[in-house]
Amino acid sequence: MLEFKTSEPLTLGVELELQLVNTRDYNLTRGASDLLAAVAKAKHPGEIKPEITESMIEVCTSVCGGYAQVRAELDAIRQVLGDAAAKLNLGVAGGGTHPFQKWSERRIYDTPRFQRVSELYGYLAKQFTVFGQHIHVGVRSGDEAVRLIHGLARYMPHFIALSASSPFSLGADTQFDSSRLNVVNAFPLAGCMPFVRDWEEFEVYFEQMRGFGIVESMKDFYWDIRPKPEYGTIEIRVCDTPLTVGRAAELAAYAQALAASLRDDLAWSPHPSLYQVYSYNRFQACRFGFGATVVDPVTREHVPLGDEIVATLTRCLPRAERLGGSEGVAALLKAAAARANDARTLRELLEKRGSLPDVVRAACAAWTGS
Amino acid sequence: MNDLAFLPQWPPLLNQMIWVGVLLAVGVAGGELVQRSLRLPRITGYAAAGIVLGPSGLALIGQPLLDELTVFADLALGLVLFELGQRLDLAWLRRSPPLALMGVAEALFAGVLVFFVLNYHFGQTPLVAAVAGAIAMSTSPAVLIRVAADLRAEGQVTERALILTAINSVIAFLALTVLIPWLHLEYRGGWVTMLVQPLYLIAGSLVLAMLAAQATLKLAQLVGKHAGRQFIVVIAAVVLTVGAAVALKLSVLLALLAMGAMVRNADRARHFIVVDFGDAGQLFYVILFVITGARLDLGLVGTAGAAGLAFVLVRFVGKALGVLALAPMAGLKLRQAGLVAVALMPMSGLAVVLVHETATLYPEIRAAVASVVLAGVVILELVGPIATQFAIRRAGEAGAEQG
Repeated sequence: MLEFKTSEPLTLGVELELQLVNTRDYNLTRGASDLLAAVAKAKHPGEIKPEITESMIEVCTSVCGGYAQVRAELDAIRQVLGDAAAKLNLGVAGGGTHPFQKWSERRIYDTPRFQRVSELYGYLAKQFTVFGQHIHVGVRSGDEAVRLIHGLARYMPHFIALSASSPFSLGADTQFDSSRLNVVNAFPLAGCMPFVRDWEEFEVYFEQMRGFGIVESMKDFYWDIRPKPEYGTIEIRVCDTPLTVGRAAELAAYAQALAASLRDDLAWSPHPSLYQVYSYNRFQACRFGFGATVVDPVTREHVPLGDEIVATLTRCLPRAERLGGSEGVAALLKAAAARANDARTLRELLEKRGSLPDVVRAACAAWTGS
Repeated sequence: MNDLAFLPQWPPLLNQMIWVGVLLAVGVAGGELVQRSLRLPRITGYAAAGIVLGPSGLALIGQPLLDELTVFADLALGLVLFELGQRLDLAWLRRSPPLALMGVAEALFAGVLVFFVLNYHFGQTPLVAAVAGAIAMSTSPAVLIRVAADLRAEGQVTERALILTAINSVIAFLALTVLIPWLHLEYRGGWVTMLVQPLYLIAGSLVLAMLAAQATLKLAQLVGKHAGRQFIVVIAAVVLTVGAAVALKLSVLLALLAMGAMVRNADRARHFIVVDFGDAGQLFYVILFVITGARLDLGLVGTAGAAGLAFVLVRFVGKALGVLALAPMAGLKLRQAGLVAVALMPMSGLAVVLVHETATLYPEIRAAVASVVLAGVVILELVGPIATQFAIRRAGEAGAEQG
């Protein structure tokens, strides 16, 4: 049985996968183990961990009460990481993809799990050198988790457009705002949680999958939102890692406010056609960002995504106020109103600087806050 | 009128071009053989090919031809020094002063230890021992850059070995041109030469480097961020600066190294992209190592072998002490520091150039310095690349190797 641990509702946790680059040509570099050794003794909140390749590192906050704490912890981690990276002459940057790295040059971090993943997925494992933000929201029970996951599903295009920071891949403009999610799609267990009604149904499904010998743990599902029973959270996984910790904290504030309003809206129940439009809307958001047109599964209306995001953020503001996240949601609202996301910033940087290494250099500076 | 005048005379006159072709072909074949059959670095094979072709081997390439080919070797070394200069990342040294200190320490320890051993144990005059000690400070940039590139190496051991090489090359040069003249007044003319010559050498080379760096950046801006065209800009700048340094009797070493560093560190508008010398660049390395190999006098191993071996060992001990002593402060694990010291072993073309530069400063001791230093270089020409390759592999920093 998959026991769902209760946690303090609406608490937040943020994980960020970060790029490690050299400061010569700003390509990804092998630096994770050296950087981890360098920060091992430093005091900081949360955790700093290895990821699947040596050019990647993951940081996460502890369980946070709200926006302010997330922001403060991420700032502190960023500082510790920045100091160590400076001594090692490494650059640290956000962004969902590295603009010009070749996946064939990546090296898999030497742990049994990563080596097993690499064995199973072949080149997909190396292509998976993409960088995402995961947002955990605390829930009381498995049933609440299932309900919230269905409820949040229709907002995933919002998170994609607001966080999108992967317009470039393999040295070219992909014309997507978030090309990172295309990489995730290649995995057999990517996509969404099935349309289960409660935790009991989910457990049945999970046991079946385990019975087939396809999965061993929740980690084997690469879903956009998945329950995390051992933490007592739901985990939103569609976001690209933003260029700044500020944006990362703002996204968490938005997730918290949305989750709160869904939780309290007792009249709402998941609509069966929800997932029929899901992949189409998701594609639209990845490809066009704020310029996407999404389909409402219930009214069947086609809505400009940018307008819908602005409307939803505006609606969330009072709730965010009560949760202490209004600063974050207001900042997102301002960005959405201006149709400004990191993908646009990166494209403008390329226009201005003229080369992708210079774009990465600017991304490092944005991350460090200098 | 001879009807057969269109035919060449027999045997035909072999021109320089033919020999350059032979040298390249044999060099590249040697590198491949050594890499495939023994898993040794390719450049060890290039140097071995040079030895086989050169006066110490089959003598297919004689001294006169080697002298003619020097221009290719100088150009190749110029490119290497320029690339090394780009590795002299001043921002990193400012952020991590212990790293800069490590560079000074490993160079000084190696130099001082070599001085004492040669002076006391091998009975060399203080001046000869000091000059050899100064040259011992330097590591071969060509070997490090090439081995790292061949292994697609990335990581702290590789990066630090490269920047330390840049630092120790500068220190070796300064020790040779400034420190030793001051310590040994008796070998010099009046105080005017003593003060003015180093000043001219250093200031002149730096001014030349500055002008060349500015021209390079302007030209890079003009051609835009395009790797192929900027590669030509680099070649032009390097050839020009090598030529100008020779014409003005300035230091090729300092001018090129400084130019590389200035292009890297003064390019605030980022006009210069990092040019990967790539396949075309490899060509220069083949030429450089084959010629350096051909120039090696294997006879020295017989006559000055003991001193050469002592030179190699003591130099390594000095470098290891310097690197290890500062490793904790510089954020390097001891194991990594040990590997950095091993990676810093190679000596090659740069040492030969330094011996030549010495000859202009102290003609009277050239032979004595050459025999000791070059005996060490003969050993390290073959052992050095292997040591560097070993260190990088052991550090786990080798990537997918170029097939």
